[in-house]
Amino acid sequence: MPQLNTPISPDRVQGMRSRMGNVHMAWSFVIHLSRHNRTLLLASFVFATVIAMLLLTPWFAIHDPADMSLSGRFSPPSAEHWLGLDHLGRDVFSRLLHGGQFSVSITAITLVISAVVGTLLGAISARVGGAVDEFLMRIVDLVISFPDVLVALFLVAILGPGYGTLILALTLTGWTPFARMTRGLALEINSKDYVRAAEILGCSRTFIILYHVIPNVLRPLATIAFLRFGHKLITVGSLSFLGLGVQPPDTDWAAMLAEALPYLDRAPFLVLIPGLAIFITALSVTLIGQGLEAHMDEKMKWKHDKK
Amino acid sequence: MWIFILRRLAVLALALLVVSFLVFLIPYLGDTDPVRALARARFGRLDLDADAIEALRIELGMHRPLLVQYLDWLGKAVTGDFGNSYMSREPVMGQVWSALKVSIVLTLAALGFAFAVAVPCGSIAALRQGSTFDSIVKSLNQAFVAVPEYWLAPMSILVFALYLGWLPSAGWRGPESVILPALALSLRPMGYFTQVMRASMIDVLNSPHIVAAHSRGLSIRRTLIAHGLRNALLPVITLFSVWMAGLLGGAVVIEVIFAVPGMGRLVYSAIVNGDLPVLQAGLVAIVTFAVLINTLTDLAYTLLNPVVRIDNAAA
Repeated sequence: MPQLNTPISPDRVQGMRSRMGNVHMAWSFVIHLSRHNRTLLLASFVFATVIAMLLLTPWFAIHDPADMSLSGRFSPPSAEHWLGLDHLGRDVFSRLLHGGQFSVSITAITLVISAVVGTLLGAISARVGGAVDEFLMRIVDLVISFPDVLVALFLVAILGPGYGTLILALTLTGWTPFARMTRGLALEINSKDYVRAAEILGCSRTFIILYHVIPNVLRPLATIAFLRFGHKLITVGSLSFLGLGVQPPDTDWAAMLAEALPYLDRAPFLVLIPGLAIFITALSVTLIGQGLEAHMDEKMKWKHDKK
Repeated sequence: MWIFILRRLAVLALALLVVSFLVFLIPYLGDTDPVRALARARFGRLDLDADAIEALRIELGMHRPLLVQYLDWLGKAVTGDFGNSYMSREPVMGQVWSALKVSIVLTLAALGFAFAVAVPCGSIAALRQGSTFDSIVKSLNQAFVAVPEYWLAPMSILVFALYLGWLPSAGWRGPESVILPALALSLRPMGYFTQVMRASMIDVLNSPHIVAAHSRGLSIRRTLIAHGLRNALLPVITLFSVWMAGLLGGAVVIEVIFAVPGMGRLVYSAIVNGDLPVLQAGLVAIVTFAVLINTLTDLAYTLLNPVVRIDNAAA
């Protein structure tokens, strides 16, 4: 799937680093963000709430997500069951929280692995250059032209469905934006004086990549990770929806949605709820990413406010 | 320039070769014996004795070295012969062609709609930065990009098919059955297209030739139509082709929900049913189209955009 690669110049990165130099500055930056970007604040609050609820699932979800009561099928929401019961009489609220743990954690794991692999390959590509660079960038071109759902289908055909397959498939297609961005930034950083100085001092390429390039690209990479999270969450869901991701008795949001689909006319609520969970989570993370991105642009404005 | 074209074509051929080898390997990579799987599909029995399996293996030529088998398979595949489907017992290519046609119609409908909405909305938002219209378009885009299509699809079936009864809820009969799946599919690309259109229009509006045209007294509208739009469209057209390649085989979920007989559903059901020839032919067809579209876009972009042309010619 296509992605929007937002170029962020290393100068800005440098600015972010010096600004975040001490705790006091960091705090005033947070206060500044919340004052000037209500959307970012609200999105962070929503996302933090989602994560907190998923972490505190054992306290919130008092019912066993697999407990069925066939007499209570399709029960409407009540004080006992906050979101009612599904087609097998299972507590929807419990399932929503347990399912959310799978949706969000698989997405997060995939993103972290993609980011690490992409950053390393991008940094190596820029640092080594030449044929290696050419080769890696052609691979990026190639990978981008594959639909990620299809790569996953291909792997499922070989390895069978499961978490491992899911994570592997999404990582195979997910590392490219990180590699492209790191490469672009690293090429600029490589021409900086402090990298030249390190070279003259006889530092190895590995050292320069680890101590100069990677720390400098971390913040823009975090922004990309936030921006990609929503997309990944939806893709993980589409595989679970097809029955190729999370396997019963476990569930995730999209699997819940798929299970409820035959009862769409009878209980649209059961389809609405898990979809809404994905939408809200994806939207809040994307808004955080865009907020961070916008604030990299507004660095100058912020400095001005401080004076 | 020619070197650039030749290099892109070489990459294309290499990519197809690698992919075809991987696709050929599918039956050998799993933990089930492909001959046994085929025997089960052909005779519908599990309890075949070892002699019958061996006989079938030799009949199929699967006792030969892997590379010989691959070249044999590739030779047939190039002429469009992927064998017969295990399920329908008919040649696979017929099924793939009809599915491909359906997918092309669906994808073009969805992306065409997204494009038709995104270009004017993005342009107007760029012209009136900071206006109410701009912020409404921005909020909608952010929401659109985060809507999972497997949620939007059932919701639109619920409203337009079950409650209002305006459109069929599933199937592929006539133009009215295209509307709902295309609509559900178009929302996310629409969000991305509009964002890119707005950004590229802002870039173009700030570029010297527009400022010059405007300061010579040309009206904003004339300036835009004569000079701006054409340049601003380029990134959106690139994105369009990327999505085109992605949705041809990647619209699996929508095709499954709406029972659209397209490529995505073909490959998906081939996996579920263990229908190897359909799976192989489907994957090869999708990848061929995706890589072909990307290469053509690159070439077209290079030909149309002088800056890229010089860069690539130098490379």
